[in-house]
Amino acid sequence: MATNYALTHAEASAALAPRLTFGEEVVKFIRTKPLGAAGALIILGMMGVAVLAEALAPYDPYLGDYGLQFARPSADHWFGTDEFGRDVLSRVMYGARIALFVGFTASLAGCTLGALLGVVSAYYGGKVDLLLERLMDILLAFPQLILALAIASILGPAVQNVVIAISIPIIPRAARVVRASALSVKENAYVEAVRALGASHPRVILQHLVPNVMAPYIIMLTAQLGGAILAEAALSYLGLGTAEPTPSWGLMLSGSAPSYAEKAPWIALFPGIAISLGVFGFNLFGDSLRDALDPKLRKA
Amino acid sequence: MRTYVAKRLLLIVPTLLGVASLVFVIMRVIPGDVTLLILGGDQAGRIDPAQIVALKRRLGIDQPLLVQFWTWLWGVLRFDFGTSLWTGRPVVEELLIRLPLSLELAFAATMVSVLIAIPFGMLSAVRQDTWVDYLIRVISIGGLAIPSFWVGILVILFLVLWFGWGPPLEFTPPWVDPWANFQQMVWPVATVGYRYAAVTTRMTRSTLLEVLREDYIRTAWAKGLRERAIVIRHALKNAMLPVITLIGTEFAFLIGGLVVTETVFTLNGIGRFVVDAVAHRDYPVVQALVFLIAFGFVIVNLLVDLTYAWFDPRIRYR
Amino acid sequence: MASRIRRRGTLITIVASVALVTASVAASPAAVQAAETGRRGGVLLALIGADPPSLDPHQESTFANLQLVAPLYGTLLQLDPYDYPKIIGDVATEWKVAPDGLSYTFKIRQGIRFHDGSPLTAADLKATYDKIVFPPAGVLSIRKNAYTAVASVEAPDPSTLVFKLKFPSASLLANLASPWNVIYPKKYLDKDPNYFKTNVMGSGPFKFKSYTRGATFEGERNPDYFVKDRPYLDGYKFFISPETSVRAAAIRSGRAYIEFRDLPNAEVEAIKKQLGDKVVIQTTPMTGQFGIAINNTAKPFNDVRVRKALTLGLDRYTAGRVLYGITGLKLVGGLMRPGSEWALPDVDLQRLPGFWKDAEKSRAEAKRLLAEAGYPNGLKVVLKNRNVKLPYQDFAVFAIQEWRKIGIEVEHRPLETAAWFNDGQNTGNFELIIAPTVEYMDEPDQFLGRYVTGSTQNWGRYSDPRLDDLFSRQARALDHAERQKLVGELQKLVLENVYYMPGLWWMRNVVHWAKVKNYVAPPSHYTNQKLQDVWLAED
Repeated sequence: MATNYALTHAEASAALAPRLTFGEEVVKFIRTKPLGAAGALIILGMMGVAVLAEALAPYDPYLGDYGLQFARPSADHWFGTDEFGRDVLSRVMYGARIALFVGFTASLAGCTLGALLGVVSAYYGGKVDLLLERLMDILLAFPQLILALAIASILGPAVQNVVIAISIPIIPRAARVVRASALSVKENAYVEAVRALGASHPRVILQHLVPNVMAPYIIMLTAQLGGAILAEAALSYLGLGTAEPTPSWGLMLSGSAPSYAEKAPWIALFPGIAISLGVFGFNLFGDSLRDALDPKLRKA
Repeated sequence: MRTYVAKRLLLIVPTLLGVASLVFVIMRVIPGDVTLLILGGDQAGRIDPAQIVALKRRLGIDQPLLVQFWTWLWGVLRFDFGTSLWTGRPVVEELLIRLPLSLELAFAATMVSVLIAIPFGMLSAVRQDTWVDYLIRVISIGGLAIPSFWVGILVILFLVLWFGWGPPLEFTPPWVDPWANFQQMVWPVATVGYRYAAVTTRMTRSTLLEVLREDYIRTAWAKGLRERAIVIRHALKNAMLPVITLIGTEFAFLIGGLVVTETVFTLNGIGRFVVDAVAHRDYPVVQALVFLIAFGFVIVNLLVDLTYAWFDPRIRYR
Repeated sequence: MASRIRRRGTLITIVASVALVTASVAASPAAVQAAETGRRGGVLLALIGADPPSLDPHQESTFANLQLVAPLYGTLLQLDPYDYPKIIGDVATEWKVAPDGLSYTFKIRQGIRFHDGSPLTAADLKATYDKIVFPPAGVLSIRKNAYTAVASVEAPDPSTLVFKLKFPSASLLANLASPWNVIYPKKYLDKDPNYFKTNVMGSGPFKFKSYTRGATFEGERNPDYFVKDRPYLDGYKFFISPETSVRAAAIRSGRAYIEFRDLPNAEVEAIKKQLGDKVVIQTTPMTGQFGIAINNTAKPFNDVRVRKALTLGLDRYTAGRVLYGITGLKLVGGLMRPGSEWALPDVDLQRLPGFWKDAEKSRAEAKRLLAEAGYPNGLKVVLKNRNVKLPYQDFAVFAIQEWRKIGIEVEHRPLETAAWFNDGQNTGNFELIIAPTVEYMDEPDQFLGRYVTGSTQNWGRYSDPRLDDLFSRQARALDHAERQKLVGELQKLVLENVYYMPGLWWMRNVVHWAKVKNYVAPPSHYTNQKLQDVWLAED
């Protein structure tokens, strides 16, 4: 097709500045966005631990040493042992797997589905918009935790069910925010211009709307990712998440962990730090990535 | 504008119907029999099957599902939400006992968060990539990252360990005894507000950043307007849209969703009540509460959408 | 480092022993009578972890109901709070048993009034027990099956109550001392037998003041109580707080003075450390144990060798050591509480599978049995559980770890309480499920009724006519020694065939401020809740 989109913003600015290689982009990212780089480091660290848990963990996370219940952190057990004598460090390492799995899957599925629905809803407007909005409203009207709770009750406590239960409430929330953003973009003159030039619906959606709603999408993704990890913790806390003796961070924080807070604070401290660090890292990285990617936000 | 409002009001009906159906279906699909729970207590009981049948008839849950749904719906239209299967008291009564606390918590937390988030979000955006920005971002992400229930328990533990002091165990409305109310509510409000502020700060920052890059803002710079005028008079209005969406979305959540906070701080609020009801399969209570939360949510949404239209005249609705 | 732990362990043992000794000394009648005379006044602030489904003890079986309403009512008989398991009267002053054991006659104290002023007579007692033993259609009586021996209840005059039996019952007096059998006024029962689910009208030392679900329950002093100068307290107030560590914190900060059910050892240690002498910890053995029910009708559990392997795989003696610090589960015993008169003597117990002292030998035998039954490479099982941490989950974690050692892989499925009941009791939809047995006293009828064919508590769905026979014989055995023998045989039969696997018996910690006087923690959290003799040394 001979139609020429050369006058859009992104391509215009790209024509003026030379393209950097991926490696150079990374270096620039680290230099200009140190917080984001720190976040990325944390995430990579977590992923590394999750993948290499078998090799890295010093003990079997399920096996308790009965003679060593509530042992303080020491050379033998860096993070101490828990109420059953299980090594906390090993459990935290294996816990990274579940946290990342739940976090990634739930957030990705929920946000992507939601974002697509939001964009479609905004673009087509009219009846489509009305129907989708109603559906989203219905789902949104359920408090997130209650919905997740109900779904977990139906499906039963298991990791995959937790993922489903957490991702469903994310869909309407992502849809709503992305739709708002898409609506703003849609009203921009250049979109109308592009339509006037004869672009097809999917093309307009994919090439013009979607890139311009990437910012809220990525924010949603990283925010929900951390949120998904936290939701798993909350569900486990309420007894509907993963089941003992699975080493999941949420489970380690729940139940009697507060009771042991004075006697053996390390039991809950390290999983708590792990969760916080994970969510922290994802958010830092996501923020900076969004800053870097969004063409309108690039600092000259 | 007026037709828009009228249309939106009309659209509330199918939404609420949809919510009602969904909640009804979910509650019935969840395994577990309320009669067994009532008869069984907290450990194995001696249950006579005849007694189960009798109880079912008394509670009205032996009717076909469609009949139960219709009965309930009909009651809702007359503001009769039925009686709790568990306590035997009207659901509305149970709700009214807990509403003041939940509303106070939701409002106070929202107030705290908005008062913190918007100024700090603005500051962070306007001073992007300076140490001010970094500091604000780190603190706000920190607020998001720590599991809320953990924070709550730590707060209580800290108070008990260092001061030998614990918050009051009973709710006194602020108009009865403001000091007692404050002593109890300040901790959950701070915990919830901090988290909520973190989310809103980040949203404010990011949307403001986007708006600040818009062409018309650049025009304003070029025209020589002062930074404060630009930010507040021009940028902020447009940046507020997604932020208001967020606040609206989360407010309904604050009313019914603060289960863990309420548990940790011994607050007799709606969140705990709903979770309890789900655990006990107390269908009328869950249906009523979710329905009412949905209703409140829809109203809040409407207000949010109207505010949209006021803030950004470019947005048209067909 | 290991020695530091050992020293701390020793310290804990010493503290616990001292507490136990102190508690047992305090429990003796002489010590109590020598205590200072009670001080009038004050409101007892207490904590409870759950709301009751309703206010009617006849229809409930949760402590959340009884602890709240017990002070508001009277009962025919009661367990002596200072001398368990002696049975004394409450509204009954004396009683006679006919020589053939088929008729029990009670003299009812005159002059007792309900809180609305109307007098309590034998007619009210008859109405109450008619409701319990012969509930009308549509009315629930959870404990009806305990009274199958009762033919009729009669009130020939206002101060006499007579129970006529179809056959002699060894447990009738114990059942009549049940804290659940509170006395209702006949006139309300006649109007609506379910009146008391949401209303209170009793004759107890306290009158109902208010109840806000999820928040508080209050009672105030009954000035016309029939026991002179009682109660000491002006009232009592329960705060409802489902989170254990929050309740513990509330005691530490003094917002509440007592928790009647149980606090985990870790919390108790912390409280003791912070408050020292200001707090009293009563550690008592509890009439309850946590075990695992097996679905005897499902393959491969219908094979007794597999069941034996499962129980042999559990090292209960180590469990007692490991789990006590965490959960309060401690004592190894059979189906009746160790330390009670019905317990199997150790020498008999240790011959039964699962109770051998030599854990290695047990595990070797378990593996051998599994191989013989056709599972030389182990077995995969599903263990269902309730999603409450203490002690359900902790007990399961231990069991899972133990069974791994004999090649049994366990999938652990915690269920919400509702689903747990459904699967366990109603549908038998499980392979293995954590199933506790908890009663208000060591009464064989109560604990052993569940092993009878067709009992609604027979979660494992087994049927052994020898068990049925033994049970009905012991229920009728009025001779104590004879009954003990039968109870022992019943237990051995169940344990040899592993119809059910008992786990560990519970020790509970009742924690209260020292200013709460004259409360003796009984072996179950159902009894001694009337608060009639409790007083506060200061407000």
